Amino acid sequence: MQDTVTTSALLDPSHSSVSTQDKSSTGGHTSSTGPQPSKPSSITPVPAKSRNPNSGANFRRMRRIIAEDPEWSLAIVPLLTELCIQHIIKNFHRNPILKQLLPEHQQKVLNHLSPDLPLAVTANLIDDENYWLRCCMQRWPVCHVAEHGGSWKRMFFERHLENLLKHFIPGTTDPAVILDLLPLCRNYVRRVHVDQFLPPVRLPAQPQTGDQSDSGSEGEMEEPAVDHYQLGDLVAGLSHLEELDLVYGVKDCGMNFEWNLFLFTYRDCHSLAATIKACHTLKIFKLTQSKVDDEKARIIIRSLLDHPVLEELDLSHNLIGDRGARGAAKLLNHSRLRVLNLANNQVRGPGAQSLAHALAHNTNLVSLNLRLNCIEDEGGQALAHALQTNKCLTTLHLGGNELSEPTATLLSQVLAINTTLTSINLSCNHIGLDGGKQLLEGMSDNKTLLEFDLRLSDVAQESEYLIGQALYANREAARQRALNPSHFMSTITASGPENSVG
Amino acid sequence: MNPPGSLEGLEPNVDEHLSTQILEPSVHSDNPQERIQARRLRIAARLEARRREALGEYLDGKKESEEDQSKSYKQKEESRLKLAKLLLCGTELVTNIQVAIDIRETHRRVEEDDIKRQRIEKLENEVKTSQDKFDEITSKWEEGKQKRIPQELWEMLNTQQLHCAGLLEDKNKLISELQQELKTKDDQYVKDLKKQSDDICLLLERMEEQVKNVMKTFREELYHIEKAFEVERQELLASNRKKWERALQAHNAKELEYLSNRMKKVEDYEKQLNKQRIWDCEEYNMIKIKLEQDVQILEQQLQQRKAVYLLNQEKLEYNLQVLKKRDEESMVIKSQQKRKINRLHDTLNNLRSKYAKQIKQFQEENQSLTLEYKRLVMQFKELQKAMSHFALIDDEKFREIWLMNEEEAKDLIARAFDVDRIIHTHHLGLPWTAPDFWFLKNVGPISRQPQKSATQIVEEMLLRTEEEEAEEAASESESYLDLPKQISEETTKRILTLLCDESGFLIESKLLSLLLPLEQSECYLLRLDAIFSALGIESEDDLYKLVNFFLQYRAHHLSSSLQSKPCSQASVEASGVEGTSMESELEPAKRTEMEGEKEESLVEGEKEEEEETPPSPWVIHPNDVLKILEAFVMGLKKPRESRALLRVQKSVRSNSKDSEYWQALTMVIPPSRLNLWDALYTALEKYHLVLTQRAKLLLENSSLEQQNTELQALLQQYLTSKINSELQVPPTRVLRIPTI
Repeated sequence: MQDTVTTSALLDPSHSSVSTQDKSSTGGHTSSTGPQPSKPSSITPVPAKSRNPNSGANFRRMRRIIAEDPEWSLAIVPLLTELCIQHIIKNFHRNPILKQLLPEHQQKVLNHLSPDLPLAVTANLIDDENYWLRCCMQRWPVCHVAEHGGSWKRMFFERHLENLLKHFIPGTTDPAVILDLLPLCRNYVRRVHVDQFLPPVRLPAQPQTGDQSDSGSEGEMEEPAVDHYQLGDLVAGLSHLEELDLVYGVKDCGMNFEWNLFLFTYRDCHSLAATIKACHTLKIFKLTQSKVDDEKARIIIRSLLDHPVLEELDLSHNLIGDRGARGAAKLLNHSRLRVLNLANNQVRGPGAQSLAHALAHNTNLVSLNLRLNCIEDEGGQALAHALQTNKCLTTLHLGGNELSEPTATLLSQVLAINTTLTSINLSCNHIGLDGGKQLLEGMSDNKTLLEFDLRLSDVAQESEYLIGQALYANREAARQRALNPSHFMSTITASGPENSVG
Repeated sequence: MNPPGSLEGLEPNVDEHLSTQILEPSVHSDNPQERIQARRLRIAARLEARRREALGEYLDGKKESEEDQSKSYKQKEESRLKLAKLLLCGTELVTNIQVAIDIRETHRRVEEDDIKRQRIEKLENEVKTSQDKFDEITSKWEEGKQKRIPQELWEMLNTQQLHCAGLLEDKNKLISELQQELKTKDDQYVKDLKKQSDDICLLLERMEEQVKNVMKTFREELYHIEKAFEVERQELLASNRKKWERALQAHNAKELEYLSNRMKKVEDYEKQLNKQRIWDCEEYNMIKIKLEQDVQILEQQLQQRKAVYLLNQEKLEYNLQVLKKRDEESMVIKSQQKRKINRLHDTLNNLRSKYAKQIKQFQEENQSLTLEYKRLVMQFKELQKAMSHFALIDDEKFREIWLMNEEEAKDLIARAFDVDRIIHTHHLGLPWTAPDFWFLKNVGPISRQPQKSATQIVEEMLLRTEEEEAEEAASESESYLDLPKQISEETTKRILTLLCDESGFLIESKLLSLLLPLEQSECYLLRLDAIFSALGIESEDDLYKLVNFFLQYRAHHLSSSLQSKPCSQASVEASGVEGTSMESELEPAKRTEMEGEKEESLVEGEKEEEEETPPSPWVIHPNDVLKILEAFVMGLKKPRESRALLRVQKSVRSNSKDSEYWQALTMVIPPSRLNLWDALYTALEKYHLVLTQRAKLLLENSSLEQQNTELQALLQQYLTSKINSELQVPPTRVLRIPTI
């Protein structure tokens, strides 16, 4: 375009304006068809600039420029590529053309695609993160992409699926809604996090979801079949599923509360067990706040025995007792489980003992959480004994377990020996003053522990403070080690005498 | 270790505590380990010093320096610690809520457990009591059935009713109690919910506060750190600027100095230039004058030259004309020459073609000749083959003829000897001894006896000496034929052993190792073999030469030492090695030439001479052996060359000896004896003549006797015959027959 401008400018004095018009117009045509990928943005300012001074400076000159105006106005006509792209964007849902385009055109198309396009069109065609970012931002105000592996597409599908599952009402909603989505999202969903499963609607007159249903009328029905959505087909279809986080319950029920809403039936349990057994890519399995009792826990754990990749099992906030704990103990030595969370259950002494027995020679488990159980000294001592031989566990949470001095005595011995534990939580126990002193003694020989929670456990403030000091020293040493791992030994030797001085 | 340590740190004086505080950040630093350790050691040392001397100033100074060293670093460390503490405290503050709820929950659970247990107990008690009551009532029903009286029955029914009412009331009471409890629980649930929401609110608040706090402190610390860095940077800049200025000043001063130096130099140079200019001016004037003079001279010369030029021009013009004419002439000649050249070219071509033809011809000829030559060579070879064949045959024939002739001659000689013997024994009556000549024993054609190699001789000699040692009596001369007799065997052997012992260096070490297990004599033999091969001694003669040389050397040595040797020795010495070699060469010839006795006598004499000289090889000092050997080897080189020629001749059989041989054969009978024979012959002839005459006479005599007898018979006959009677005169009367 610039070429044409200059040529016309040169020709101006000798020829008439008409001829220049013709010439420039032909030139404009060729240029518009020829160099298609030229930027349209750069075209407009050049004539604009050239026009401005002329118009302001001299009228005669301006006239001449007016004669050139049509030539300039050609730039306003959108390029054919632009038009094509616009057309493609407009008809994308009917005729999706993307892969055949040049990269820059693809980008352009993607930038202008509407996020409301049907998933059937976009799911397997578009990989561009920006598009999916727009989709996500449009649907949800708060997006934590980091929780979904940093991929907007994955996030979109995961949350979309979660949404569908959350509002799925067995018997009412068509299961095809979810199964239709399956071929679209099977390659992108790695994590299924569902924090509510709606029970089937009792009254056919009520098309609403469970949280809006009338609780009084439902409570009297007492139908036996209150099973939730069976995940089997879905999970079998998701080839990359790694995490399953389920809560069999209803959220935001408010005053419509009813026990039936939180019923995790045996059929649910069996189907879930079969589902997770069939899923060989599952790494993390969480089933919390679902009133899982011993029997159900055992059913699920049995299905998890010898699972090839399972690493984390979270059954917190359930009703698991000693038998369930025993099952979990068995699972410890029949899987690659690294994290076990049984917080807020009803595990007592015998259950903890069986766990301790399994733990004594386990080489996989890294973290064990028994918060808010009631293992008491019986279980605490057993666990402490197990820790004397265990060389793998790094995190242990025994908060709120009615532990007292005998456990503390044994734990102090463990502290002196063990070099793998980095975090212990003994908060909300009855350790007592003497127990605290013993723990302090144990801490004096330990160089690896980084966290030791003794809040609200009747320990003397002084010993707690001193333990804090020791932990501080350990943390500093660990930091040194992390900074220069080659001087691992020398740091220990160096920090030894230094600590005695300080 | 930390808690007791910190306790100790708290207890002692404040100074130490401070020092430990100073020490702590440096210890938990990002710096490499060595630095930390070094610092720790330094601090420990400082503490020691402080304790002993209680000097505060020293430490302060040190501390300041340390601060200067890492202000930003210290700030960083401080901020880090502060932030870590803040984070820890904040998380603790936040989690405190959870912990509090946890403990509340545990307490609640315990309480709940208690209450539950109580409730269950209560319920059980209730069940028991109600069961008792129920039992009572039911038992009373049985009683009631037996009651016949209506009043009693009514009464009992009333009481039963009362009882039942009581039971029901109890139950209702329990139910109402439980409902009450449920209600309170519900209330509590609501309260708990409220509390929970409050807690969550608190949690959120705290979290937010924490976040704000942390952000604020982070910002502050960042600001502090940046400030510290800024300050450090400023300081660094200031110091650098100072340094820079100092350097600049120094640079300026130097520049100034250089400038002044330069000015001085410039002045100097200007002075020198002026001087130079004046001098140059003077020189210029001088040269100008000189050159002007030169110009005048040259102008004069130019005039002269011009005159010469004119003269020459005229001459040259004349010459030019002459040359022109000559040129014309030469043109003519040139054309002639060209023609000639053409002609010669033609001839040359002809000749070339001829030459090529001839070359071809010669090549062909050459080929044919080479073919012929080859054929001839073949023929020659065949001829040679035939010749060798014939030579062999000739040899054979020659040998046969020789043998035949020899046999014949031998027969003749034998006959002659027989005759001689007969003559001697029968005719002369002398005893006869058969003469013993070498040629009589000779069978076959005479050929030179092959020369034995030196080693063979040595071997022979050694073997012989061994044998001799065994049997002394064995005749030496018989077996020792070939040795020149001037050297005794003993001396030779001694010399050789000496040589063998002294010149071990000529033997290879390998051989020595191999020789070890062998016997002494064999050992000697092999050693000598090696030594001879090293010295270049090949034949018998060489060996004798060597031995001779040894002896002569010794003799010379002695003579030179004694100065009293006869001149004969000197002459021998003078003749040197060559003479001896010649002698040894001539030896066999001489022997054949001379008749047995003469030669024997000669040899005898020589031997005697040799024996006269003290034959003691041990007089030769072992140290001299090497010198002798060196001299010998130097001397041996020359005869070697001459002998090469002799070798060639040896292959051709010498005919000279044949004639000698045959001559000798003819001379088997010495001329004296022939004379004797001749005399004898003549005497015998005479005797024979006498005898023949006598025989003749005897024959005559016998014939005469026979005639006589015959005549007598005839006479008798005649006498006896009638005729006789008839005859007037009988013969008998006439003749007187002599009776024998």
